[in-house]
Amino acid sequence: MHYGPAEMMVVALAREIREGDIVFHGLASPVPMTAMKLAKALGKEFTYVTLSDGVDPDFTRPAVIGSTLTANTYEGSVASFGLGEIFDLAASGRLDIAFLSFVQMDREGRINMSYVGGTYDRPKVRLPGGAGSATLTPVTRRTTIWKTKHDRTSFVKEVDFATTAADPAKMFTVVSNLCVFRLHNGLLEVDSVFPYTSLDEVKANTGWEITQDDALEYPAPTEEELRALERIDPYRIRYVEF
Amino acid sequence: MWGSDLVALRPEFYHVLESPFTGEKTVCVRALVPDYAVIHVQECDVYGNARILGPSYQDALLARAARKTIITTERLVGTYRLREEPKLTAVPHFLVEAVVLAPGGARPGICYPEYQQVDDAGMKAYLRAVKDGTLEQYLAAGEGRE
Repeated sequence: MHYGPAEMMVVALAREIREGDIVFHGLASPVPMTAMKLAKALGKEFTYVTLSDGVDPDFTRPAVIGSTLTANTYEGSVASFGLGEIFDLAASGRLDIAFLSFVQMDREGRINMSYVGGTYDRPKVRLPGGAGSATLTPVTRRTTIWKTKHDRTSFVKEVDFATTAADPAKMFTVVSNLCVFRLHNGLLEVDSVFPYTSLDEVKANTGWEITQDDALEYPAPTEEELRALERIDPYRIRYVEF
Repeated sequence: MWGSDLVALRPEFYHVLESPFTGEKTVCVRALVPDYAVIHVQECDVYGNARILGPSYQDALLARAARKTIITTERLVGTYRLREEPKLTAVPHFLVEAVVLAPGGARPGICYPEYQQVDDAGMKAYLRAVKDGTLEQYLAAGEGRE
């Protein structure tokens, strides 16, 4: 079956989820939402909590619009668990993954979600802020970040502002449309490169210097994964972010 | 909040203290106290006992944080309805300053399960009205619309 960056990213994020995890996605998150539904469809046992109060909503109901803050992530839930409760859950160390994205990231895993250009008080562009990233990154067990546009404006040498930063003591993973980065000794390294691209393309699109000479090829999606993906996402909401 | 530039930048909101229980360093965040919270619900009685039927987001928390809470509601219901299922009452009357009957009040946004599709044209018209300073005309044009 054919696949592209959207399918590859959804599959890669789904593979980051482990049995027994409690996993959260927020708003404007079509790729992680699809990844969580895919992991459910593949039979992975984990708990799905969302911004719309849902707990393990019925993943077989396909999303029809790109918003991830709708009844689709609520209907068929076994319980109602609000966002305030999710933040408490995270603060008590029991949330494994909160899928987050960013506007700028540097090699040390500093994430900017606050502003670009100018100053904090008089920014050129004001960004959404740190409600999710600043509060959840320090307390979730594994930081798992996605970014659908891997280029030099997002993977930068130095962020304008660190809304949050990686904790070197914890697993820190970034899945882009080109590759998977993981944090080693406080610095991001290319863990593996997606089959349709190359380390050279990753280097050309990354704002900091990548010194490594080779990286593993990330395993392509399997037929089973792609078939399940088509089943749970028939309206291809996964493309909204591309 | 560890690792965030926000902590040093906004001392009026963030403060690092040692936990009195464990000695662990802890970021304290100052509570936000909005002057008003305006919360749209599906059902409410005349006293302000408000039901949220569906996702509630941080609405109940907002009602507890704000100095004054205004409820706008799709329907007014009798208090006897609330007594049937007290757990569905997300905001109790004593936190509520005023109740406004406003069917369609969340448009051009959504209100589960009454209307579940964002009205894109309506959203654009609203944004244009805010930008052009013609919000009053926009609101007048929408009066009585459900």
